[in-house]
Amino acid sequence: MFRSSSLRLAALYTAVFAVAVVLLGATTLYATRQALSAQFEARIRTETAGLEQEYRTEGLDGVLEAVHERDETPGALEYGLRGPGGGALAGRLASADAPLGWSTLQLPDGAEHREAVRVYASPLGGGYRLLVGDETEHSEALDTLLLQHFGLAFLGVVLLGVAGGYGLSRGVNRRLTAMNNAAEAIIDGDLSRRIPVRGASDDLDRLAGTLNRMLDRIESLMHSLRQVSDDIAHDLRTPLTRLRQRLEAALEPGAREDVSATLEGALGDLDAILATFAALLRIAQIDRGGRRAGFQPTDLAVVARTVVEAFAPSAEESGAALNLAADDPVMVDGDAELLTQMLVNLVENALRHAGPGAATVVRVSQADGGAVLSVADNGPGVPKAERERLFDRFYRLEASRSTPGSGLGLALVASVARLHGADVTLDDAAPGLEVRVRFPPVVGD
Amino acid sequence: MKLLLVEDDKQAGAYVKRALSEAGHTVDLAFDGRDGLMLAASEPYDVMILDRMLPGVDGLAILRAIRAASVKTPVLLLTALGGIDDRVEGLEAGGDDYLVKPFAMAELIARVNALARRPAGQAQQTVLRVADLEMNLLKRAVTRGGRRIDLQPREFQLLEYLMSHAGRVVTRTMLLENVWGFHFDPRTNIVETHMSRLRSKLAQAKGPDLIHTVRGAGYCLREPD
Repeated sequence: MFRSSSLRLAALYTAVFAVAVVLLGATTLYATRQALSAQFEARIRTETAGLEQEYRTEGLDGVLEAVHERDETPGALEYGLRGPGGGALAGRLASADAPLGWSTLQLPDGAEHREAVRVYASPLGGGYRLLVGDETEHSEALDTLLLQHFGLAFLGVVLLGVAGGYGLSRGVNRRLTAMNNAAEAIIDGDLSRRIPVRGASDDLDRLAGTLNRMLDRIESLMHSLRQVSDDIAHDLRTPLTRLRQRLEAALEPGAREDVSATLEGALGDLDAILATFAALLRIAQIDRGGRRAGFQPTDLAVVARTVVEAFAPSAEESGAALNLAADDPVMVDGDAELLTQMLVNLVENALRHAGPGAATVVRVSQADGGAVLSVADNGPGVPKAERERLFDRFYRLEASRSTPGSGLGLALVASVARLHGADVTLDDAAPGLEVRVRFPPVVGD
Repeated sequence: MKLLLVEDDKQAGAYVKRALSEAGHTVDLAFDGRDGLMLAASEPYDVMILDRMLPGVDGLAILRAIRAASVKTPVLLLTALGGIDDRVEGLEAGGDDYLVKPFAMAELIARVNALARRPAGQAQQTVLRVADLEMNLLKRAVTRGGRRIDLQPREFQLLEYLMSHAGRVVTRTMLLENVWGFHFDPRTNIVETHMSRLRSKLAQAKGPDLIHTVRGAGYCLREPD
């Protein structure tokens, strides 16, 4: 139980407040005592001065009378008048042989009690001695009251502290236990669990929120990783199997293919597999997101011009046309190399699917503050039902299954677009297919 | 040329060494970074081929040490890491070229040849010449047999690359990287297409084909045989 930090904190606070109460009590007690004591003694001195004055003006008789009178008055002080030989002349204190100045006497009060009396003795002329005093318990009553109250306060603070601390720490512990349990479940493998957020908007909730976002990221990375290994396992198996079969067939006694041809074919197969592998890894790297840190302002028109100029001759050779329509310049925050690769994929796809005689146009423009890159061909197009699936890794249109290519082209396009915060749409170009990539506005424009 | 190969995989190392030797080079083979560093610092080499992943030691650390020792020999990095940033990292560490494994032997040989420095003392050339073909880099003009040939900017760049590597094989990948800046492999053979256009333009000025296709390797611009 004492490992709970909230309990320790509560205990600490309780101790601090308890000590504060004690200190406060002690100082109050001391100050009050001093004040009362001063007041107490001042009263006695005033009375003494008054009686001394009485002696000077009225003589011994006057004093005697004054003492008698005061003795009869309830609530008055105690008095005593002693003669030159020590004889008691008047007043309750007269029988006490007190020295001059301040002293404390123990006087009998009734049959069994003795009480303390603080007395001031002063000389009157002629050897007479005047005693004036008061029972100390009068000034001590407040002491007791103060002690009682501060004692209660101290007790109250301690009790409240203990109870409050315990209650508080139970509440905190419950939340921490919930968080711990969720974390254990996640460690055990349930990546979809999230740490409970109580909605109190306090620091524990903020921590839970941040941890949950971290878990979202980890889950998406794990998903990406799993996808890559799934892809590799499943989809590279086919070409690898094909390669193996080719080599196996060449080993057979009646093999038709000559060794050189087999080996060349095998190398070709391997290169295709390696290219697929490289593409898969590149997509995974892009999805990791780290590339975003190196983004620079990039002119899409320049990228488009490079690609169109590179591929136009090849298009011409197959009897197709590839052209560019670009405003100058159209800026995005991005990675020029990845954007180039993305556009190359789109252009190659368009050229391949549109077929001979078709015209493909790469368009770079600005719309709603963001750049738009589009590749449109006027070929057979893609039926609406298949357009969505085009982005699945390795999905190939039925119509193009026989043409070379790994089917990863559009998956890479989607990855690069996602990295740049752009969205990709496929539309019917009536006829043909238009792929449009819309970029977010450049920050700081 | 005298080459240093630092490769920890004995089988791969032996294979590469043999292929390079058959191409006419002398090859020293080191199996770990420390030996490689020692050799690099003590002997003069024309080109160093350095595997990035070495046992216990990062190939890039070796490279930085080599550069810190003021060894200016060109270095070709071999690596299984084909990541987008890995190439930049390798070049920034002092590498001159970067080749991802597995590679075709012809690719390695072509790149090693391309890296060999021209003899010191040769000033930055403003005019490249092969046979009767002349390229003025300042004026951006190409003539053959005195007759001017009009080239598109990309064709000019392509010819410039071929001419500055005259007599040596340049691979398709090298051209994609250096002329187009493509660090990936497009499925379409754009290099072949552009090369044939360049060839026809050069042929306009009458004369034998200077651009030879080297089967299984790439292209080579050289004096006619």
